Amino acid sequence: MIRRAAEITFQFDGDEFTAFDGETISAALLRSGQKNIRSAPTGAPRGMFCGMGVCQECVVEVDGKKTEACRKKVKAGLIVRKATYV
Amino acid sequence: MTNTYDIAIIGGGIMGCGAALRIKEGGMDPVVIDQGDIGQGASGVNAGTLSMQIKRVKLMPYAIKGHHEWQLMGEKVGFKKTGGLTLAFNDREAELLQERMTMKRDAGADITFVNPKKVEEIEPHLAKKIVAASFCPDDGYANSSLSGQYYRGRLTDENIDTIERFQVSEININSNGYEISSGDQVIKATRILIACGGLTKHVAAMLGEDLPIRARINTVSVTERAPRIMNGVIGHATGLLTMKQKDNGTVLIGGGWQGKGTPEEGRGAINPETLLPNLQLAQFAVPTLSKVRVVRSWTGFEANVPDFYPLAGRLGEKDNAYILGCVRGGYTIGPYISKLMGDLILGREPEMPLFDPNRVFNEDKLI
Amino acid sequence: MYDVIVIGAGPAGVNAAIEADNLGYSVLIIDEQGSAGGQVWRNKSSSIIDAPKTETSIKGNALRDALMSSNVSVKYEARVWHIEKCDTIWNIHIENDVLTSKNLIIATGAYERIIPIPGWTLPGVIGLAGATALFKEHMMVPGHKTVVAGSGPLLFYVANEIERLGGTVEAIVSLNSRFDWLKSLLIMITQPILLWQGFKWVTAFYKKTIWQSAPIKFEGADHIELVKIKKVDDDWKPIGKEQILEADSVCYGQGLIPAIEASRLAGAEHHYDETLGGWVPTIDDMGRTSIEGLFVCGDNAGILGALAAPIRGKNAAQAINKNGVVYDIGKFERFGKAMTALSIPRAGLLNLIDTDTDVCRCEGVTRKEIEHEIITGAQSPNAIKSGTRCGMGPCGGRFCADAQAMINEHVTGKTREDIGLPTARPPLRPMPMDQITEELNYDDLPIPGVSPL
Repeated sequence: MIRRAAEITFQFDGDEFTAFDGETISAALLRSGQKNIRSAPTGAPRGMFCGMGVCQECVVEVDGKKTEACRKKVKAGLIVRKATYV
Repeated sequence: MTNTYDIAIIGGGIMGCGAALRIKEGGMDPVVIDQGDIGQGASGVNAGTLSMQIKRVKLMPYAIKGHHEWQLMGEKVGFKKTGGLTLAFNDREAELLQERMTMKRDAGADITFVNPKKVEEIEPHLAKKIVAASFCPDDGYANSSLSGQYYRGRLTDENIDTIERFQVSEININSNGYEISSGDQVIKATRILIACGGLTKHVAAMLGEDLPIRARINTVSVTERAPRIMNGVIGHATGLLTMKQKDNGTVLIGGGWQGKGTPEEGRGAINPETLLPNLQLAQFAVPTLSKVRVVRSWTGFEANVPDFYPLAGRLGEKDNAYILGCVRGGYTIGPYISKLMGDLILGREPEMPLFDPNRVFNEDKLI
Repeated sequence: MYDVIVIGAGPAGVNAAIEADNLGYSVLIIDEQGSAGGQVWRNKSSSIIDAPKTETSIKGNALRDALMSSNVSVKYEARVWHIEKCDTIWNIHIENDVLTSKNLIIATGAYERIIPIPGWTLPGVIGLAGATALFKEHMMVPGHKTVVAGSGPLLFYVANEIERLGGTVEAIVSLNSRFDWLKSLLIMITQPILLWQGFKWVTAFYKKTIWQSAPIKFEGADHIELVKIKKVDDDWKPIGKEQILEADSVCYGQGLIPAIEASRLAGAEHHYDETLGGWVPTIDDMGRTSIEGLFVCGDNAGILGALAAPIRGKNAAQAINKNGVVYDIGKFERFGKAMTALSIPRAGLLNLIDTDTDVCRCEGVTRKEIEHEIITGAQSPNAIKSGTRCGMGPCGGRFCADAQAMINEHVTGKTREDIGLPTARPPLRPMPMDQITEELNYDDLPIPGVSPL
């Protein structure tokens, strides 16, 4: 039996998502079926890829800063936005 | 290789390739030699700034001509005319700006002084700490990463031989001209042009010429793609910052902060003690940059002599040996001064005077 | 100032640190994760309060406990962005700090080789090792219906974990044939426990395994929906008819590549050895590099896997002393190499990279563009990068360099050694500017003198 931490909510791209307190943004989004978390400069959809902070595909914006979703832990009320480019 | 070329050009950067193109056009058969790849030395790794405001007063006419050459190369080299601001954040810098930009304007650059309100219109993301600023509508940049691709293509189109990965180990002079060796490979040519940037001193020494050349190790950084935070080239009154945001959103940050290493040892390395102030200054000028990530920092060599003017002319007392280098602002001026050099080699009168490498060098003290 | 800094707290790095501590050195270990374990013994997220023990958690916890009860200083959540040797001292630059040591042990591990095919950038297509991070850290699966594809032993480990954690494996698409595996059997016998485990996994998924096959295309609107696969020949060239699998997730990869960026930045010599996963630092049997005071251990010194890693770590610590003891890794090395051999790229793989496929995910550079650049005279990775932007993006070329070199090899006939590598440059990871610089007091700005007028 796996016992997990309390559920919390956070925002991604304006929508509300739930997460287990302490998991990463990418895990929480994937659990909710939100695989597409970024648009590449070409416009193509992207999601978590290497899962270990190397490939930069899962980059999202937290506090205006680009952050790897696979390394950043979710906190209750965290506001996560899609990464923006020129 | 039994063929004897009319001229061997050592160094496949903008200077060497530009001269080769002119020389070929004039009817001679040149060969371009590079220790690495065409256009991958300083020509390929500098920050790409084409700014009148950072050019030396005496070189301004050359810079204006060079700028025009870049404009003609256009999209293939990522040319952009964006306009550029130079900023002063205190009274000392404002004074410096006033003095220097006035002289540059008098030398022919279209530079005006702009008030902080106008500055904000031009670059809304700049820090609101500006004391004085100057603007030049002609300033812009090209993409130095494309130098190699561009010149490789031009040399191929003009059927100019290029030999890459040829590390010159020895140069012999005989009655027929020059024999340039790399191990057991030999290239023969009637004439020789040394245009190999940071390694110019090293190669000139193979011809017995001791030139007072020093290499600077300039640092450049690039960020990841970011939302639009600057529109044109941004500089600093001291010359210690140049910045521009490319169309793809990446921001290039330079300013001549010095890294480590020598051209003889390799490609050089950044020095955190200078890189970090460079990035601090960039964030001071454009605070939103602080949230942007740096993706890569690197160095490139820039050769200079004590008076910081070019070496462009005949090398010593030798027949048919020439040198072209140490051009401060060489990226901007290169495509033009290399044509003048080509003309000299072709026996034509260059449109503007060149810079005698055999002159007495007076130390130009940094202010 | 430490006697030893170790970069990377996986099994190699931690064992190196503990061994160095036992030898009486002062030691600091740095890792970008929140705790030790590396990828292989990755720790659970704090979101998991309780869970059944697994091999990963047992071995990982043992490693973490051993580290905790040593005198080794630790620095987690720290990212090294630059490494430089100043005289005899190593300066290790992390966010807003510089750490110094007399010796440096690099244990940065590996990342995945993932062959670019049409659709490989679709959300829901993740690396095989990336999937293991999900299992270990979050005890979750990548989707409801997963295709596991690629080569090597990770395929079966990933499939097993997916079903253990409640997911469904649609199929395992294995480049390797049954015969490839049989060939490794002799060496696997030296590791009876692993052999038995492997045997259980393979038999469990035998019916779901499509041998000697490869995905040729991933399809979907904004995430993966369909996987098109084909048989491959012995050279791994796709042949025959297309078969379509449905999936909402794919775990995909063709083995591991040593993470050599740190040792290259530190100035060590490297060479190409496909039996070790690609470019590796040139070292002696203890992990001494060409640079005095620089040692490497673990998969970044050549892919030999988790079994060999602890011993390689200990050897790297012993190597600090000229008369250090050498621990024998013989059988682990043979086993590691046999596993790595299953993923040595074969020439036919290149046929999977469609001409319009983005080889460089960051910058969107296709195979066609790379080939054009090479054909028109770009000879080196630096030249190709400059002309096409392939490898210029935020991942620093880690996920395109190998495919780019395969294409170069194909077009020019040059060896990987002759093709070489692009110049190593910092930062080792994209670094937010305000994390590596402190706020500027303008008057303190070291102005070295203005440019000549």
